[in-house]
Amino acid sequence: MEKNGFGIAAVSYDSHETLRDFARQHGIRFPLLSDRESTVIRSFGILNANIAPMLRAHGVPHPVQYLVAPDGLVIRKYFVPNYQHRVTASAVAFREFGAVSEGAATVTLRSGALTLTMGLSAERAFAGQEIGFFARFTLETGWHVYGTPVPDGYTATSVIFDGTAIARQSFELPAATPARMDFLKDFVPVYTGTFQGIGSLLLRFPLDEGTTVLSGMVRFQQCSDSVCEPPETIPFELPLTLAPFMDATRKKS
Amino acid sequence: MANDVPRDLEGKAAIMREFGRLRAAGLPVPAELQEKHVNATNDGFTTGPEPGERIPDFSLPDQEGISRSAANLTGRNGLLLVFYRSADW
Repeated sequence: MEKNGFGIAAVSYDSHETLRDFARQHGIRFPLLSDRESTVIRSFGILNANIAPMLRAHGVPHPVQYLVAPDGLVIRKYFVPNYQHRVTASAVAFREFGAVSEGAATVTLRSGALTLTMGLSAERAFAGQEIGFFARFTLETGWHVYGTPVPDGYTATSVIFDGTAIARQSFELPAATPARMDFLKDFVPVYTGTFQGIGSLLLRFPLDEGTTVLSGMVRFQQCSDSVCEPPETIPFELPLTLAPFMDATRKKS
Repeated sequence: MANDVPRDLEGKAAIMREFGRLRAAGLPVPAELQEKHVNATNDGFTTGPEPGERIPDFSLPDQEGISRSAANLTGRNGLLLVFYRSADW
């Protein structure tokens, strides 16, 4: 985020001493702000009103993240309606600027006239976080694949991750270009040249820490003006390190 | 399901206490309690200013005790402002 000219700050109701210890323990260099009386949390209208005054968590916010323009207007906000789930800063940077963490793996697949490079927005994440991914397709001249809606008998281009480690996923391609297909006597949405889709992956919670692979399938059908290949389903794998879960019950005393 | 969530704070607190007791004891949390806890915590959630709206101005001490304002945290292109529950638990 900083490389892209954005400041980062995080607000909680902890004391600045608690935040100082936390920042030292985890090597955090961006500002952690102390909102002891939850005044700023209230002024944003995000106080969690479900927590009774006698509970320790009284005063916490709903965990919202805002991307704010220099004039103070909200560009976008991120909220996952499960307090254990968060969107990672890498997913925000990825969605907004296409920024990928150094060290994040990419994988390149080739089939016929199509080359596909895929990558995750981060090489490391916590269970329950949301990360981003991209899929960049390049087709040789004269070839196309299909967008949606696809005519009967043809296969649209899609990327689907295996759900073992992923609770929710999305993938968006740019709008496909309608192309006149003489043999269908109709216009069909197609992709040619180089195009890129981006998606998000909400990791399940909990997951075992350590190295894992996120696997999935890409489906497409490549055709030229004269030839249509059969639909293809190609598996892929992207490595991801799952960071150890930080839990109050396991915290060092 | 959301309609399992008690309306009153005391009912929600009972769920949160039971969840906290199991977690503190290192015991497994049954899936049903886990779901009740998530639903009780998120009931009627609010997410504050919408895209296009202005955030309230603020000034808060950082981890070194130095007062920081929205203006002084904002970079050339803006600010990623994260609200989270706690660094302490």
